[in-house]
Amino acid sequence: MAGKNMKEKKKREKINWKKELKLTPGYLIILIWVIFTFMLLGWILAASLSTTSDIFAGNTLKFPSGLHFENYAKAWGSSNVATFFSNSLVYSLISCTLLILICAPAAYVLSRFKFIANKVIQTGFVSAMGVPITMIVLPLFGVVANLGILNNVLATKGVLILLYVGINIPYTTIFLLTFFSNISRTYEEAAAIDGCPPMKTFWRIMFPMAQSGIVTVTIFNFINIWNEYFLSLIFANSDELRPVAVGLYGMLQSMQYTGNWAGMFAAVVIVFLPTFILYIFLSEKIISGITGGIKG
Amino acid sequence: MKKNKGMIVAFLTPAVVIFLIVFLYPIIRTVMMSLYKIDSVTDAMDLWEFVGLGNFQKLFSTAIFKTAMYNILKIWAIGGVIVMTLSLLFAVILTSGIRGKKFFRAIIYLPNIVSAVALATMWLQYVYSSKFGLLKSFFEALGLKSLAATPWLDTAHKFWALLFAYCFGMVGYHMLIWMSGIERISPELYEAATIDGANIVQKFRYITLPLLKGVFKTNITMWTVSSAAFFVWSQLFSNVTADKSTLVPVQYMYMHTFGAGNAVTDRNAGYGAAIGIILSLCVVLIFTICNKLLKDDDLEL
Repeated sequence: MAGKNMKEKKKREKINWKKELKLTPGYLIILIWVIFTFMLLGWILAASLSTTSDIFAGNTLKFPSGLHFENYAKAWGSSNVATFFSNSLVYSLISCTLLILICAPAAYVLSRFKFIANKVIQTGFVSAMGVPITMIVLPLFGVVANLGILNNVLATKGVLILLYVGINIPYTTIFLLTFFSNISRTYEEAAAIDGCPPMKTFWRIMFPMAQSGIVTVTIFNFINIWNEYFLSLIFANSDELRPVAVGLYGMLQSMQYTGNWAGMFAAVVIVFLPTFILYIFLSEKIISGITGGIKG
Repeated sequence: MKKNKGMIVAFLTPAVVIFLIVFLYPIIRTVMMSLYKIDSVTDAMDLWEFVGLGNFQKLFSTAIFKTAMYNILKIWAIGGVIVMTLSLLFAVILTSGIRGKKFFRAIIYLPNIVSAVALATMWLQYVYSSKFGLLKSFFEALGLKSLAATPWLDTAHKFWALLFAYCFGMVGYHMLIWMSGIERISPELYEAATIDGANIVQKFRYITLPLLKGVFKTNITMWTVSSAAFFVWSQLFSNVTADKSTLVPVQYMYMHTFGAGNAVTDRNAGYGAAIGIILSLCVVLIFTICNKLLKDDDLEL
């Protein structure tokens, strides 16, 4: 291990200046973009720990009156952020779990067995990924409204979860399908010889083997559902039901009257923090998941 | 196979049933709805009044809807050129052997995982702010007083402010698609070209570009699909419910069917359905054109 590290260090120290010089314009362009991104996020973070008067005085980055962590406490307590946050968490976690339980078996069957409907289902799922949400939202709303459950908080939460699951089924299934097709069939053959029934083989052997694909697609689903806006806006008609994205929008509207800018920036940070933290730890996995799912 | 039949049915049923409920049924019903005048989305079918293609005709003779279509077309075309150019440029730079590639790649992709509402708020309340904005302090530091005083969010500038902020968030995703394509090109091709004396620009023009046709198609498709759903950014950039400079079809549809909107006098869910159809047809049309134009994909990677 140590030897490997030494070797890498040596490799790193040897800079080919001629080559680096050639790449300078490239470095510059990328650096400008990256610095801008840092400034944008860094300033928002600073503003969320500042006060409204300091922000307006242009002293956001100097913290003349110290760090104001109470902005977070206030935003969390007063403007329903806690409710929005726990709603988003519940929606995302339950939907992600259901998606895996529903899509993994479907993807496995589609990747392994030949039957007439197989091609039809796959084509249907792939096409659905390009269907604009406007194409499906009206009838869905009509059906749900006619069921008369939009006044019932728990039932509406159930409907929202069903919708989040539904719109992500095509993507999740196709992603896992590609994953399962890359796993060798020899495992199932061996299990069959040992007398293991196919369904048991799937849950005991294939499902655990697909773990890394399942994790990747779950991260994507989590981020997608956490950030989902349009369906939530239409179906979540009260603060008790709203997830963070829609809740934040409502807060922005009311902020125009209260003028608590520091609190608003704190709310913005609360909204993007969960996906941001996920990303810090899992960016490599997320990125490889995107590029892996794309066929040129 | 008999044993498997039970398994196939059991494993597929939940996914397929939910898919039929959430996609197939609504799509068919939206197609039907677009041909009727419907006072409320919740109305039963016997209350619908058949108008044929009337909804489409009416939409295309409504000035505000035409504005919305024109806006989304501009976002798709101009934003598309900006995003495709920048993302390809970044992808080429990052795959050219620079240091810290993984780090830069992660930072450039970062905006994609941030909620669009949060991201748009950052731009609106910080970057474009006329009181403590990033652009204001940047231009002030450079001594460009008149640029610093530009009201970025007034009617004249708002569309471009919106477009640039949106593009900033989209570049990372498309860059990753380009990169995956570039990384699949065999390095031997570049080595051979280097031996033959080709410079960086020539290598890009004669090797990278032609081999990226398929990836380009993927990029355009993805860009088109996200443009058709364009909504959050417009909603956040509008102070009033109908801001002509940033209005897009999805927003118009939302006002028409769900929300109170000052631009909407007669409620008709049929319009909403028709807008859904129009957007879907645009996606299909662009997809078909792309497939026709970029057909000769003999250079499989």
